[in-house]
Amino acid sequence: MANKTTKTLSVLMAGALAVGLTACGGNNGGNTGTNEGAAGGNGGDKGGEKATITFQNIYPDSSDPKYQMIRTIVANYEKDHPNVKIELDSLNTDQQKLKLKTQAASKEVPDITIVNPAAQMQPFVEADLFAPLNEMVEKNGLKDTFQEGILDYYTFDGNLYALPDGNNIGLVYYNKALFKQAGVEVPTTFEGMVEAAKTLKAAGITPIAIGEKDSWTGSFLFMNVLLRTNGPGFLQDVADGNKTFEDPAFAEAVDAFQSLVQAGAFQEGATSFDYNAGENLFKTGKAAMYYMGSWATGGIETSEVNKDDNIGVFKFPTVNGKGNPDEFMLAPGSAFAVSKHSKHLDVTLDFLNYFMQNYPIEAFKVKGAVGVAQTIEEDFAAAGYSNMAIQVLDLFKDVKGGDISFDNTMNPGTSQVHLTSIQNLFVSKKDAADVAKEHQKAFEENNK
Amino acid sequence: MNVLKVSKWTIAAFVLPCVLLYVGLVFVPILVSVYSAMLDWNGIGASTFVRLDNFKYMLTSDTVFWPAVGRTFLLAGFSMLIQLPLALFVSILISRYVRKPNFLVSSYFLPVILSVVVIGQLWKTIYNPGSMGGMINQILETIGLESWTHSWLTEPKIAIFAIIVVGLWQYLGYHILIQFTGVQNIPADIYEAAKIDGADGFKADRYITLPMIIPIFKISVVLSFIGSLQSFDLIMVMTGGGPGNATDVIASHMYKMSILSQKFGYGSAIATFLVAVCLIATVIINFLFNRLDKKYT
Amino acid sequence: MSRTAITATKPAATVRTSGSRFSVAKPLIYIVLGILLVTQLYPLLWLFLYSFKTNDEILSGSFFSLPSVWQIENYSAAIESGNYWRYLGNSLFVTSITMASVIVLAALAAFAITRFRWKYGQLVLLLFLLGMMIPLQSTLLPLMIIFKNMDILNTHLSLILPYIAFQTPISVFILSGFMKAIPHEIEESAIIDGAGVFRIFRSIILPISVPPIVTVCILTFINIWNEYILAATFISSEKLKTLPFGVNSFVSQYSVNYGAIGAFLVLGALPVIVIYFLLSERITKGMVAGAVKG
Repeated sequence: MANKTTKTLSVLMAGALAVGLTACGGNNGGNTGTNEGAAGGNGGDKGGEKATITFQNIYPDSSDPKYQMIRTIVANYEKDHPNVKIELDSLNTDQQKLKLKTQAASKEVPDITIVNPAAQMQPFVEADLFAPLNEMVEKNGLKDTFQEGILDYYTFDGNLYALPDGNNIGLVYYNKALFKQAGVEVPTTFEGMVEAAKTLKAAGITPIAIGEKDSWTGSFLFMNVLLRTNGPGFLQDVADGNKTFEDPAFAEAVDAFQSLVQAGAFQEGATSFDYNAGENLFKTGKAAMYYMGSWATGGIETSEVNKDDNIGVFKFPTVNGKGNPDEFMLAPGSAFAVSKHSKHLDVTLDFLNYFMQNYPIEAFKVKGAVGVAQTIEEDFAAAGYSNMAIQVLDLFKDVKGGDISFDNTMNPGTSQVHLTSIQNLFVSKKDAADVAKEHQKAFEENNK
Repeated sequence: MNVLKVSKWTIAAFVLPCVLLYVGLVFVPILVSVYSAMLDWNGIGASTFVRLDNFKYMLTSDTVFWPAVGRTFLLAGFSMLIQLPLALFVSILISRYVRKPNFLVSSYFLPVILSVVVIGQLWKTIYNPGSMGGMINQILETIGLESWTHSWLTEPKIAIFAIIVVGLWQYLGYHILIQFTGVQNIPADIYEAAKIDGADGFKADRYITLPMIIPIFKISVVLSFIGSLQSFDLIMVMTGGGPGNATDVIASHMYKMSILSQKFGYGSAIATFLVAVCLIATVIINFLFNRLDKKYT
Repeated sequence: MSRTAITATKPAATVRTSGSRFSVAKPLIYIVLGILLVTQLYPLLWLFLYSFKTNDEILSGSFFSLPSVWQIENYSAAIESGNYWRYLGNSLFVTSITMASVIVLAALAAFAITRFRWKYGQLVLLLFLLGMMIPLQSTLLPLMIIFKNMDILNTHLSLILPYIAFQTPISVFILSGFMKAIPHEIEESAIIDGAGVFRIFRSIILPISVPPIVTVCILTFINIWNEYILAATFISSEKLKTLPFGVNSFVSQYSVNYGAIGAFLVLGALPVIVIYFLLSERITKGMVAGAVKG
């Protein structure tokens, strides 16, 4: 009995090994692209060089409109360029970050990849991994399609290194029915917002939903408070040595933020809710307000809670009478960069140019055009965008500058300490001076 | 004394394929990590050699590090003191009282093969605040123990224990499976002989089952220790190490440092520490079990 | 005596304590085992219901509820945009090659370590023991560089090789623990019959070692079936991706399709559960059985 089993086992194993070796060998050629390049040379010159381009992206989910968009554009391009094959490597955001970092460390960056703006892409630029896009962006008038100033976040020493997929602002979504039920009005001051939170809470309604397990969500809100108490450019001033975190404006922001937490404004157990679970509280009508980047518009407008125009938006209000509501938290989106060492650099650049030309057109079609980084001269209302979406688009017209998020301004080391520090405010009350000290210490340690 | 005398070539043919693969893909990378631990490097650009600075900072100035080490050992401790004995107890019960044990043992094993994503989400629905449908809190409220309710995953002092419970639960069946087969394969005639000598039931367990199960219990201990040191997925799914750093363990701290904070050199220093702990643990576990082994054979 | 230990034909389960003093405790014991059964099986039911729900229902976080409308779409999403069949094929391929290789390589090494007469057996064993607890993920970057130089990035080989390498220490540990206990008389008589080393290994040692080999199979399987970090980093081509990619393909930057993830997990776990229960008798009998010393 035992003997028979082993015999079968060993035969199976031997077979599996043999199959494995051949199959692995067979797979070997496909990835390098060099073989195909050579084959293309024999096959005639119709359509130029034969190339396989790897396009690393963060749109793996078929229920995300971008998933279909990217595939449509790629398919169209491949139809016009039969010698070019675009291979999509679709990963979720965290995994893509990890993969790109590992690839960057071994100088193996894919032809096209995705990076975050400003401070977050700086290490890649300094390591000289990306190809400058200055010339490419001038072709076919691509540069003029982008909104004014947006490309600055992706430009280092006069060289543009990436093209963004979005440009968003921070705003407050609110549930009209729940506001009415508790008898609160849209707050025009931060203090009014704290009061509204108390009233809502007393009425048994969660005032503000947040997904603070993903700690950038709380930081994004906190930074908007800081933008009011200080005005734009606080972090830049700290980085330039003109201010420290022990500045009164920072302490004032911490105290204001804590007054919101202490009023019970956020749902119980907020730090264990991830982004989706937090947003879902608002989308299912269980929370009255939701502070988020305008990218959330698409998901909220199609959710059950937006029936009968139930969702409105307002600008983040003044704090202690300070600040200008027309200054927003700005969120330049993740952006497409091209590997400097791409084997098919020209083809890749040509494709990315085509891709970005078509990006806003396709985005508009799938109703994903709120917060695209390019100008779209179309009639949104006629195309069936909701009133809320149009209200958001109107807010964009009011933007008079603002700040970008903490981790886009400061280096990653400092940012991590900041994110943890703000997350701590959700579970225990802290002295503003201690929070400031913690930030200052992290800043000094990480900028030696 | 081993009886097979063979040529060098035969030894090489048997051992080398395995050793080479292992040394090339496990040992060499670890050495590379140890070297990176002496660099100030963001993992992407240029690096500077800083000798032991990273280790010095880790051991003396990093306020997150030691608590994370403590929590890692807490995990291991709970696993060894509660999970493994419980698994052994259940295994003995099953082998003694259940006629067709395969289904039962296999069912106990199931949570192990489910993805951590599912396990994490299931337990979140158990731990949630009562107002969000959390099972534990709702039960407490129903039986009038409102004062016992907690926000289990977000109160810094409680959260790590809430996670430990999940880990103990998920891998209980794993250890039951391992130990049950051990118990079951103790030759029956030993028990029969003992019975004649008057040792029966739990008395027989004390003198026969426990000593006989040692080699397999060792496998359980080693696996549980590995699991505790490498625990990462579950924590990232349930709390992400938060609130603040209240549930960070060595592995999550390492990930946050090398990837999120982009201090690859420093992250490697933590990795080196982890490897060192592994080595020491291996030595200690082997030493203890060798002594136990000698005592009983 | 020691012979009995290896063949272990008569498991202890057949010996029942007949004493009446346990009759009171018996129902209690069944209740305890039963409760444990419910807690361990419930996740499966939960996942099953989960896989038919909408995001809103899932995120509302109830411990038990039926879906208001059974979302069959989750399954079509899992099969189509999750590329279920292709990923399943790749996972089966990678896993089976890895398991087969681990068994062959580790058994050869364990055999040599425990049964050959040579000086360095214990040293080699120690070398393996040292690597037993090292986490796979901590070597991500060095492996990336090695594989880049070998030019095998984006092939299944770049997964199979490290999977094998990381499974060998624990496998050698388990197998050598077992083989150590096999009595020497077995080889002695084989040598008298004129059998060579390879034949002794193949037709005597391997057959006896089926129990720990089953253990090694299970451990290897658990560790690599859901492995995602190495896979996501080394594999870029759609046609080579494995099951964990499918689960993660429903997670996008600002949304997660939980229902489809659930459906994908059910589909991913189904073949495993079926195979597992079919083999469960072999597994419970086989697992580490002979490691008990006689």
